[in-house]
Amino acid sequence: MNKYYSTNMSIFVFAAPALLLFTVFCVYPLLPQIWMSLHNHDGFRNLGFVGLDNYREMIANSSFWTAHKNTYLIVAISILLGLPLSMMLALYMDSQTPNLRRFFKSAAMFPAILSVTVVAQIWVAFYEPNWGLFNSLLKAVGLESWTKSWLTDQYTVMPSIGLTFLWQYIGLNAILLYTGIKTIPKQYYEAALIDGASFVKVSLRITIPLMQDVIKYVLILSMLGSMAFYSHVRIMTSGGPGDLSRTVVYQMYYIAFETSQFGKGTAIAVLFVLECLLISFLIQRFVARERLEF
Amino acid sequence: MKTLRLLGVVLMAGALLVAAACGSSKSNTQSPSNDAAPSTKTETSAGSDKKIKLRVVTITTDENRIKIMDNYIKPGVAEALPGVEVEFEPGGGGEDMANKLKTYNASGDMPDVFWSDAGYFTPLKNTGNIMDLTEAITADGFIDKYAVTDALKHIDGKIYAISSGADTYFTPVIFYHKELFEQAGVQVPTTFDELIDISKTLKNSGIVPAVTPGKDGWGPKLYMLQQMIQIGDPQAMIDLVNNRTDFDNPSVQAGVARIEQLAKEGVFPDGIANLDYGPAMEMFTSKKAAMLWMFTWELPNLAVDENVDFFPFPSASDKYDPNQHVQFWGSPLNGYAVSANTKHPEEAIKLAEYMAMADALFFESTGAPIALDTGNAKAEPGPLMKKFVDWYNPIPTKIASFALNSLDARTLAELSTQGARLLTGQYPAENFIEEFGKVWKENTWFDQ
Repeated sequence: MNKYYSTNMSIFVFAAPALLLFTVFCVYPLLPQIWMSLHNHDGFRNLGFVGLDNYREMIANSSFWTAHKNTYLIVAISILLGLPLSMMLALYMDSQTPNLRRFFKSAAMFPAILSVTVVAQIWVAFYEPNWGLFNSLLKAVGLESWTKSWLTDQYTVMPSIGLTFLWQYIGLNAILLYTGIKTIPKQYYEAALIDGASFVKVSLRITIPLMQDVIKYVLILSMLGSMAFYSHVRIMTSGGPGDLSRTVVYQMYYIAFETSQFGKGTAIAVLFVLECLLISFLIQRFVARERLEF
Repeated sequence: MKTLRLLGVVLMAGALLVAAACGSSKSNTQSPSNDAAPSTKTETSAGSDKKIKLRVVTITTDENRIKIMDNYIKPGVAEALPGVEVEFEPGGGGEDMANKLKTYNASGDMPDVFWSDAGYFTPLKNTGNIMDLTEAITADGFIDKYAVTDALKHIDGKIYAISSGADTYFTPVIFYHKELFEQAGVQVPTTFDELIDISKTLKNSGIVPAVTPGKDGWGPKLYMLQQMIQIGDPQAMIDLVNNRTDFDNPSVQAGVARIEQLAKEGVFPDGIANLDYGPAMEMFTSKKAAMLWMFTWELPNLAVDENVDFFPFPSASDKYDPNQHVQFWGSPLNGYAVSANTKHPEEAIKLAEYMAMADALFFESTGAPIALDTGNAKAEPGPLMKKFVDWYNPIPTKIASFALNSLDARTLAELSTQGARLLTGQYPAENFIEEFGKVWKENTWFDQ
């Protein structure tokens, strides 16, 4: 029986339904996009085959690179800042009494369950340059020279949007990491406690290493969420001023829908799919390679 | 456990009661007066109890549009079109409306009746999704209600949209609060330099000098670029609208530079490039800003405040005289249009006519001039409207709107992008001229 289930054919049979769904809903829709990206298409009419011209034009477009810079800034904020903060929050939650833990869990989940529109609008109000929270606070503590038009200044617009994104999802990631912490057997901690290990040492030597599967999951989730970053930008700045806060997905939308150049828009989409595949491969290859069992 | 069950039953009963109460409650919508309801009627599906369903998507952003929908269109539609059940879908405005219509167009799910705009007309025409109304409105005599029927025709000679004709009377002006000007000790400027000077004085008095919607480059796209070119050299603007010049023209470049100057001199509030229509209006009506740069479609709403007045954009050279040149908003492509693929063309055309008439009745009620004859006696306009009409009507050279009559979808979108950046004050006019100049040369609008 075991031998039967381990054959290649049986693997294929069991994987076939998922494979079929994946092909129909993920691979197949890509094919017309690739075809469209090789044509001058206005969304309604095919105006002729142009080969790789759409790709060349998009790569030569400065907005394409601005969008990439912005997307990877969001990824960096989410991974380099968001993940450690979520981890710290998860560890802190774990160290609290059950009642406090319940409170922290609810508080952490709250921003994530709010609609993006609500969160984005709240933060737009915070950033409002004339009466918004941040500038009012800065003025109140005598730092008027630090006040800015946060969402229209070319240097602050993306970090400001990134902070909103971070605030909304940091708690959700903390909850996911916290569930990972809970899967670690207690005896490891008991042994460390007997040896006199501090909280920091326990976290660094036991908790984090034993959570690499969960960390990998949160990393992929954060990465994909950041790469597909669109809604906050749409609501907070509409990609502006100009193209200063466009992400790759927004640039794709802008080129296809606002300028009616669907051929070029799909060229961006195809390039971006390749980028995402490469990044997924790198994560799979280099993060949490060995499966831990305990 | 029993307590929990009991609680569950009570909650369920409560929820059912609330649902039942909501279901049976009557709408608070007031019935329209007979005067307000448009008079167009149609006979549909005679002898059949089943109503024809029509879907409408129209602009719903500004206060006027909401009033037209709530007070003029919705209340009378059942009476005017008894065989028709209309589903109204809010379309938003600006880019949202454009993108919504473009998406419906691409998916083949066009509403039966919709608000057409020059900005997204081309893709609709390319797919054959917008109906040529010429024959239908000629046959039923609706066309005869227009003062100038040629004003309805697109450059191909066909009529794709019908409106109240109020559009041609919309022009951008500078509204201002008289008491804020007095408070700061400034006079209405007659030159561009004076405008900059009074803005500085207002700012030093703690008043935001001027406000206008800047998000998505609304202001620069729809009027600011045109005004800033026009006040220096109206002929250059006429040439640009008609594709007889480009962004290498020094007068056009000077216009762009004026926007950069306005942004840098602090004429607008911080964050103007991300300021939406509603908040911009609110800044003016709440007297946080002394001036509002806006089209005259807001005039009836602003005239409620007796301290509000307006003046035309001040001159930047001897070539411009505000009594000789003015921008007008209208485009024959802006108005109610009908899907070429609607299953009920006759009823959809009647609905479009009904809605155009509703628009006309609304604007007529405000004293605004319109081109569509409602059959009513003309109401006496209020003082501000009268001042506007007396200034606007005699102006001999009315320059068509650049945004509506010269730009294809891509060029229009790029004007939004580049215009919004100009408003930040961090983007040099030279960059705008270089980037937008390239896009302008690839503009396909005039290839139609």
